[in-house]
Amino acid sequence: MIKFIIRRSLGLVPLLLLVVVFSFLLMKAAPGGPEAQFQGNKKISQVQIDAWLKRWCLQPTDANTPILEQVGNYFVEFGGWFGILNCNRSGSQAFFSDSGGLNVLPPALGGGSNGVIHGDLGYGIQSGRPVTEIIAERIPATFILAFTALVLWVSIAIVLGVYAAIHRYSLFDQTVTFLSYIFYSLPTFWLGLNLIFIFGVALRWFPTGGIITTRDWSPFNTPQYWQQFGANPGAATLDIGRHLFLPVLTLVAVNIAGDSRFVRASMLESINQDYVRTARAKGLRNRVVVGKHALRNAMLPVVTNVALEIPFLFSGAIVTETIFNWPGMGRLFIDSIGGKDYFVIMGLLLVTAIITLFANLIADVVYAIVDPRIRYD
Amino acid sequence: MTDQGPGADKNSNRQEVFISPTGAPMNVVQMAEGPQPQDFEVSLESLNQWQIAWRRFKRHRLAVVGTGIFGVMILLAIFGPIIWPYDRLALKPVTHSGGNPPGWMQNPRTLADPFGTDNGGRSVFILTVNGARLSMLIGIGTTVIAVTIGVVVGSFAGFFGGRIDGLLMRFVDFMLTIPFLFVILVMARFFGAGDPIVLTLIFGLLFWPGLARLVRALFLSLREQDFVQAARAVGVSDTRITFRHILPNALGPIIVSATLLVASAIVTEAFVSFLNFGLKATDLSWGNALASSQQYQIVGNWWWAFFPGMAIALTVTAINFMGDGLRDALDPRSRE
Amino acid sequence: MTGSILPVDDDVATRSAGRPLLEVRDLRTYFHVMDGVVRAVDGISFSIMAGETLGIVGESGCGKSVTSLSIMRLLDMPPAEIPSGEILFEGRDLLTMPDEEMRKVRGNDIAMIFQEPMTSLNPVFTVGDQIAEAVILHQGLSKKAAWDKAIESLKAVGINNPERRVKQYPHELSGGMRQRVMIAMALSCDPKLLIADEPTTALDVTIQAQILELIRTVQDRTGAALMLITHDLGVVAETVKDVVVMYAGRIVEEGSVEEVLLAPKHPYTEGLLGSIPSRGKRGERLNVIRGTVPNPFNMPPGCNFAPRCPYAFEPCTQADPRIGDANPPDVACWLYTATATSPTPPRVRPRLDLVEALG
Repeated sequence: MIKFIIRRSLGLVPLLLLVVVFSFLLMKAAPGGPEAQFQGNKKISQVQIDAWLKRWCLQPTDANTPILEQVGNYFVEFGGWFGILNCNRSGSQAFFSDSGGLNVLPPALGGGSNGVIHGDLGYGIQSGRPVTEIIAERIPATFILAFTALVLWVSIAIVLGVYAAIHRYSLFDQTVTFLSYIFYSLPTFWLGLNLIFIFGVALRWFPTGGIITTRDWSPFNTPQYWQQFGANPGAATLDIGRHLFLPVLTLVAVNIAGDSRFVRASMLESINQDYVRTARAKGLRNRVVVGKHALRNAMLPVVTNVALEIPFLFSGAIVTETIFNWPGMGRLFIDSIGGKDYFVIMGLLLVTAIITLFANLIADVVYAIVDPRIRYD
Repeated sequence: MTDQGPGADKNSNRQEVFISPTGAPMNVVQMAEGPQPQDFEVSLESLNQWQIAWRRFKRHRLAVVGTGIFGVMILLAIFGPIIWPYDRLALKPVTHSGGNPPGWMQNPRTLADPFGTDNGGRSVFILTVNGARLSMLIGIGTTVIAVTIGVVVGSFAGFFGGRIDGLLMRFVDFMLTIPFLFVILVMARFFGAGDPIVLTLIFGLLFWPGLARLVRALFLSLREQDFVQAARAVGVSDTRITFRHILPNALGPIIVSATLLVASAIVTEAFVSFLNFGLKATDLSWGNALASSQQYQIVGNWWWAFFPGMAIALTVTAINFMGDGLRDALDPRSRE
Repeated sequence: MTGSILPVDDDVATRSAGRPLLEVRDLRTYFHVMDGVVRAVDGISFSIMAGETLGIVGESGCGKSVTSLSIMRLLDMPPAEIPSGEILFEGRDLLTMPDEEMRKVRGNDIAMIFQEPMTSLNPVFTVGDQIAEAVILHQGLSKKAAWDKAIESLKAVGINNPERRVKQYPHELSGGMRQRVMIAMALSCDPKLLIADEPTTALDVTIQAQILELIRTVQDRTGAALMLITHDLGVVAETVKDVVVMYAGRIVEEGSVEEVLLAPKHPYTEGLLGSIPSRGKRGERLNVIRGTVPNPFNMPPGCNFAPRCPYAFEPCTQADPRIGDANPPDVACWLYTATATSPTPPRVRPRLDLVEALG
């Protein structure tokens, strides 16, 4: 089992490298470039900027630079961004860190500290803070929203899908099928806007945006906030819950649609299998035939499907967090694109790609556990 | 031999041959002697596979309704801007913060401003009607590009297999690993320049991997089917096998996913433009029509986002119903 | 009914003394589908005495499997419908029985073996689980006792090392082995009637003989009645005593195996026999039945077999012969009526090679 996981993880490394290269190229190809953005920011001193440019080997390039040199600069910059090169040194010495070891190695083995491979994703151009820090502080908000929604929509979809499959062609089944078509087709952002109007503006039942009531609490995920949270956990949770309602409703409504149809199809396929007929021929109660023999098999593809949906949680987060002003990674991403905050964008691309690959790995592993036919050797 | 393949597959229920009870291979010789009674004619009207597909499609009522709605939307995209041109857009003085509510909310009998106005006094109705053209064009254009790339890549990988397949599929895996919406937004913002053609190209270049994977899977399974093996056995060339035997049989699933692609391209364009990362403000699309509506939603201007969004929702629902009907009609094996 | 899996043949005599164990009367099973109604089974009657064996033979699509599923009430209704008929098991009509009682009959009194051993076992549960659950349900044994019984029944169907096999999943077993497991499962509750629906069709030829032999011996030992459904006359000859020939949802001929194989009366039976290659008759032409099974939505007028029948004459296209109409009454064919004038009834070489198996 462990071997299986290790082998699968190793298979992901090339993909991960490709993603790193891709995010680098995407940003380098973008007009402007981080240097220009840094220069335009008055909050950061020139000394600091020079130090940063050196740290990631960013080369001053303009229209007059010969093409060959530009291409060479790309490689140097990628080396710095990835953490192979150390631009405090020059020439072939650049492959070695200040302490003398190969720069690409971990610091404990004498390597350097710059670059993706050392967990250094650069600095935010707007805020001047390390990208890892900027992203990390946004994770809890996204996590709360995404996983509340995921748990809700998966469990509701399973109940609806199984029930619809057992009572195929019933009024219930047809209603669920019809509604899921409709909701599946609604643009998420538009559904969110309408829910804001109905429940937030017209009925005033739920707040229209944000994660907390700003006049009652310190900004979310600051030490002060967690202090207040610790002092009054009930009220704090309730406050977040009220803010969660509309974005979760949006995500659940849209995603239940596809998933309940998936569960229904999977369950129908399972119900029509020969082994279910065998179970019936044995005289088992209908509850056992459906709940044990059919359901267990129907859940196999569902488990995989859910694991594969995890990456889409973050795409979904972009939409819902934007509409509901939710201070998570999706919102950060939109703000960073707006402000052309290159390092944050690259960092977010990497983080989500890692999450995607990790979710695929989990899907494989879970499948191997629940299906006795899959061997992991 | 060449024409027997796909036909035999589709009409297998009518061409059943009597197999010996033991199932043993044998040299079957027709009984020559004895009275020859007239062969019993099966009087099922003979239908080709497209006629059968059309009959199945017609039975899917929602699909027929969806096709109707989609047709109306296409007509709107073509003729709407002629009947209600954007030039005629007289800016109304804004009476509410963020735009006037629809006229009928005050006086049920008026037809003025049926969808209200935006914060600049532009009629949301005219914005919606004029937005149809670009939204549809981007949706269809994206699909054409994506299907072309997807079919070429997928059939290459599926037909040749081996190293080419491995390489192409690793690339597809990679494309599916990077979060699609992230890349779309980044590219639209940095390279899109508000140009609808560039935007369509970007979408097309990012939408194909799923389709390539589908086409490859179809090729892999069709390649092993008896009728392809039979064609190969009698020496039909690879190109001919691909175009005459495999592609026609893969067409159903491809058409179905192409239809659904149109819908997701329309939604994606709308979202990108809604965030102001898409088209220039002077180009009208459904996404652009509701671009700045979010901040006014909170003061109660529901109409601004509602009507252009409704147009998107209607179109997308119609296309999805259509796609479902097509799936029933062209790709019955993939259902339940 | 508790006790060993292979009970001594004590009550067979008492069982078979009176009326048949299973009696099917004028059973009709229709399917309502998009294009109309398919009369898969269209008024058939037959019976099985306790401990006896009956074969049902016919081409695929003739309704023989639907018959068995109708007896077990395993058809989904709708689309299936049983508009008329009775299925009397030990005098009780299975068709009108409440669901809960029918459930107690299934697996306990009537057990079934299916055609596809590869898909008929649930892939995510062990073999032992799947045998034991029926035993726990019908015989009220503890989990432990049921598990022991599962091992015992695996041993009874000739599986080596049953203690190990019982813990395995179906995918770890070969096709023949899985069919043995299916048989063990069917026998685990000592049923009075065993229905085997094409039990050997999906298996290798060498395995087929073993499985048939196994079914015959367990039937013999347990004294259960056997209803064997097959398209293979060779299988019938080796396994059962009586046989019913079905064509397009009807019974066209019935009788003992000797009668049917040595002196077939119906032209269809003749055709079936004629299309089996015989040993030692090299170079001889096979008489296949011409044409195909009629379209279920468009049955020919008169006799269903008439369009394919080499002896068809005028009455055949006008009226529909049923069992009992002719003389002898065990064949549904106008050739055997007093009024029949022209063609001579079939003369086919008796299939001694098939009947050899009967001894």
